Amino acid sequence: MFRLKRLLYIGVPVLLLIIVFMIDVVRITVEFDVGGILYLRELAVIGALVLIYFFVSSGSRDRGKAATKDIGRLLVVVAGTTVLVGLVQVLPGLGFSEGGPTSVPLNSLTVFFGALASVGVSIASIVTLMTVRSLVFHKRKKGTKRNFIIYLAALIGCSILVLPFWADELSLVSTTFFVAAIVMIVVISFRQSWIVFLSRREKIYSIIYSAIVFITFIVLSLLLTNRTFLNKSVVFFSSPAERFVLLNSICGAVYFGMAFISTLFHLPTAEVYERKQSELSSLHNLSRLVTQVFDFKDLVNTVTHMTREVCGAQSAWLEMIRDVKDKGYREYEAVGMNNISEDQIAVITAHGEYSLRKLVIESKKVLLVDEVATDRRTRHMKQYGIRFGSLLSVPLISHEQIIGILHATKDVEYGFDQDDIDVVTTFADHVTIAIENSRLIAQSLERERYRQEMMVARDMQRRLLPQKFPTSKSFEIAAMSEPAMEVGGDYFDFVELENGRVGVVVGDVSGKGVSAAFYMAEVKGIFQSLSKLCDSPRELLVRANHTLIGNLEKKAFISLLYVILDVKHATLELARAGHCPMIHISGNEKDMIRPSGLGLGLTNGEIFSNATEEKTILLKKGDLCLFYTDGITESRNEAGEEFGYERLVMLAAEIQNQSAREIQDRILTEIKAYCGKAAFGDDLTLVVMKWLGT
Amino acid sequence: MSEFKVHHRDGDGFSVIELKGYLDAHTAPDLETTFQELLGDRKFNIVVNCRDLTYISSAGLGVFMAYIEDVRKNKGDIKLTNMSPKVYNVFDLLGFPILYEIYKDEQEAVNKFKQSKKV
Repeated sequence: MFRLKRLLYIGVPVLLLIIVFMIDVVRITVEFDVGGILYLRELAVIGALVLIYFFVSSGSRDRGKAATKDIGRLLVVVAGTTVLVGLVQVLPGLGFSEGGPTSVPLNSLTVFFGALASVGVSIASIVTLMTVRSLVFHKRKKGTKRNFIIYLAALIGCSILVLPFWADELSLVSTTFFVAAIVMIVVISFRQSWIVFLSRREKIYSIIYSAIVFITFIVLSLLLTNRTFLNKSVVFFSSPAERFVLLNSICGAVYFGMAFISTLFHLPTAEVYERKQSELSSLHNLSRLVTQVFDFKDLVNTVTHMTREVCGAQSAWLEMIRDVKDKGYREYEAVGMNNISEDQIAVITAHGEYSLRKLVIESKKVLLVDEVATDRRTRHMKQYGIRFGSLLSVPLISHEQIIGILHATKDVEYGFDQDDIDVVTTFADHVTIAIENSRLIAQSLERERYRQEMMVARDMQRRLLPQKFPTSKSFEIAAMSEPAMEVGGDYFDFVELENGRVGVVVGDVSGKGVSAAFYMAEVKGIFQSLSKLCDSPRELLVRANHTLIGNLEKKAFISLLYVILDVKHATLELARAGHCPMIHISGNEKDMIRPSGLGLGLTNGEIFSNATEEKTILLKKGDLCLFYTDGITESRNEAGEEFGYERLVMLAAEIQNQSAREIQDRILTEIKAYCGKAAFGDDLTLVVMKWLGT
Repeated sequence: MSEFKVHHRDGDGFSVIELKGYLDAHTAPDLETTFQELLGDRKFNIVVNCRDLTYISSAGLGVFMAYIEDVRKNKGDIKLTNMSPKVYNVFDLLGFPILYEIYKDEQEAVNKFKQSKKV
């Protein structure tokens, strides 16, 4: 489709121009004007030129992107055309008769070459118009498009008005349009903003191109305004084309003359612009990097690479500083070395009394050495074969702590100007953020690892609690334990003893979390081994205390309640090592069974065994016993009030006729409802024993 | 969570630690610091006034256990006073009254220190 269109744009004009040529060949010998054939001829010329315009414009899509390339292309077209025109000018055997008001070609060869030159300059004009348009539109302002359209209107108006049919009557109007077009040419010639965005190299090319194009257009304009072969052939070919080509040549001359001068003036600032541009893109890249690079090594490599780029440094490296808190000294590590070796860095950053590292760390300010070879802080480097011109060290400061130093060196002395220092300082800020970011990510990964470990610990601890509860016709047991954090210090367990006796233990290790969990595991081991050896609860506690004392931290202790249920005799023996009292509900009687006793691990031998009592209770059918940890009674509501013993006892009495499982569920539901939105602060453990009778 | 404050003042031959608020695993280090200071200054006659102590957890109790041995080795003591019934109950459950002297009033504890000094 596109190809067909282009074929049409070029095929039809060629056809039209051949027809025009044939008419012209006849016209130079015979004066004729049959049926307005000359009108049609003029229309054919205009039509052909318009189609050529479409042909050319459909071929260039990337306008405005590369101004220098555009000018270069124009240069080729215009210079080519001018060479063609020049050749035609000197060809022998061509000429015009100078009799009438207009010059008439002497022969058909003159007609042919005249038409060729005319079409050539017309095409060059079209390309000029399009090039100027793309340059003018480079950074559009409000009036840009309007001005250009006014110029186009004046150009087309002026051209159309010189058609031979009305040229005489409208010559004044045509001249007005011509002047208007010239004015607009001057106006649009001030739109040269594309120059600013060129690199230095492009600017130099642009200056050369503009100069050649300018001269070429001057030549073309002179050829067109004087009675030269070109002027005569174009006027004979088509008088609108003459105006069109002349105006565009003037336009080209003025515009590229201006471009030449502007570019020349912009040349000294080209480097600055270029550098700003690269700084901007580097900073932009770095801020993108901050969110993308998680790998520390990648990050520092990119950072030093970019540092070299933004200030044109010869080498750059980053030094990371880490405080080793326990040992009270700092660790240094050179990372992301770019164009420098580790040995060189060692000499540069830390040598004798003039350690650059020390200077930067102490001042927390940018350190600039303009003459490395003579500066007293750096001249020692010469001995080690390090020859830099200048050196810049910028601290990376995060939360008022130096986390690193960014170093850059240049070959030349006084290589770092204020701009370099500013940009590297800004850069250092970004780098700090990037590094902090990558550290945070590493930290959160580590945290995730710990979390996984804790989940494993939680699982392990769950398995330390009994999975199967003792069953009997004489009693029901329900039990649960829930740590406040991943792991906790609460413990309950059961043991089957001789003569149908069953041991029930509930314990609480002081503190919470991991340390409590380790002691809880230790308690389980002690309980499991001692319970088979001890006949009475009191004996077990005394021996457990004996085992534990000396194995616990000073501030750690364990409370334990140990009960032996004698199914045969329907009795319950209990001893308490500082633990919460057992709640015993028997009909209307509500008791807190609290034999005296000391927490395990508080004191040794004698005091403990003297302080520890044992109690025996007779069980009646339907009796309810609750064993629990202080997490239950110390559960708090949103107002900070504890659930307390009284509520627990009253609740137990109220629901004593339900099954052990139901009682447990109900108590937990009530406690959760009581706490409301307040979080559980402590591990919760509850063991419910319902005596069904022997 | 309610705040915890620990404050200490020196008397003639004894020091008084005043506790206020909620003493648990999070706030226990504050009390530990105070004990360390006193022991560092070789002040071993310590009265802990619990008048404004609203809650004490097992971790809070552990602080007293951590220092009692050192204090007694140096012929001093930690005496606890002015406990609310609820706080006393926590101490009592664990059997602390067997291990520590607990008084209703700070002055009683102070007097005890003065008597033992005379003897």
